[in-house]
Amino acid sequence: MKLRRTSFFSVTLLVSTVAFAQHDAVVITAVRDPVKKSYKKMVDGAKLFEERRHLAPAASLRFKLIPRKDGTPMDGVALEVAADSLAIPLKVGPDRTFTLERNQVALKENAQVMPNRKAGTMTWRADVRTPGLPPNVRRLGDLRLECEVGMKSDLISRYPAGFFGWLEELFRGNPAYCHRDKNRYLFFADRPIFSVTLVDGSRREVLPVDMLYAGASRDPKWKQDKYCDCEVLFDRTYFVPLGDTTWPDDTLVVLEYM
Amino acid sequence: MKAILAATALLAGCALLQPPPKPANAPLGPGEILSARTAESALTTGRSTKADVRAALGEGTVVSFDSGYEVWVYRQPAVEKAPAAELVLLFERSGILSKTRVR
Repeated sequence: MKLRRTSFFSVTLLVSTVAFAQHDAVVITAVRDPVKKSYKKMVDGAKLFEERRHLAPAASLRFKLIPRKDGTPMDGVALEVAADSLAIPLKVGPDRTFTLERNQVALKENAQVMPNRKAGTMTWRADVRTPGLPPNVRRLGDLRLECEVGMKSDLISRYPAGFFGWLEELFRGNPAYCHRDKNRYLFFADRPIFSVTLVDGSRREVLPVDMLYAGASRDPKWKQDKYCDCEVLFDRTYFVPLGDTTWPDDTLVVLEYM
Repeated sequence: MKAILAATALLAGCALLQPPPKPANAPLGPGEILSARTAESALTTGRSTKADVRAALGEGTVVSFDSGYEVWVYRQPAVEKAPAAELVLLFERSGILSKTRVR
């Protein structure tokens, strides 16, 4: 059931700081049990991006909303930073990405970042892109930084217990997970993929099919796991050997589409 | 710290559990083929059907997508000094083979 937000948020918008004025006014239609993430954790992730940007010196950071369930309407998603005394509307681009600004009140009040979509219908990722690359080419350093920011921001949605192994508590929220040789941080391509190739100068390596489709070629039941945050975009998912330091950050990750 | 050490020991143990290369005369398991390259050369993209592939190679590991596309995977086991390989096939909604690759 959809609920119209009370005028409370409108009032708080009016008294918000000048920093908020640059955003377009957005009327949020809230839902029960919305998808939401901790604002503080996402700010922590953005801070980590600045500390670790040597991995992707020319890139910028955005966050991205990704559909999980078939039929989830992704056009017109309204997003806000919401806490007891404020609501900051965020502008979501046509590519479903957005940026966050640091706000002390939101941090103090442990704000949540909330779209007007129900929990379980969408997932989140960091989006780190070096400009100038073709759409089907990613840079390994960008992906390493996406993983680190994503882990720090706790963006991964409900991976099943044991997905990270019994070390779950050590790795959840810990960017060090990204440096494990066989990490399973899921990336999403823009279109369904058939293969992924790492290219560093004359060195080329096609990734095994086990690193595509969330590892389903070894575990076909994985797709049916309700905890997978890749359900609807299953055919776009891939892992990358982020922790293999023989591949430098400038390595190109070339995606061949279906 | 103990947990990290224990974890490291477990991960190292997992590495030791990788299957060793098969003897040359070992029987093939489900989804396994003798040579990924030879199998690929027997197929024709844009023409071979799922039935053709099944008849030639047997059942592979099938990964199906909501789009109607399917990926079929056949594995060539490591045998003595020959490394493992894989043959990956992409079928369109129509059931026609549209892409292949060997790794």
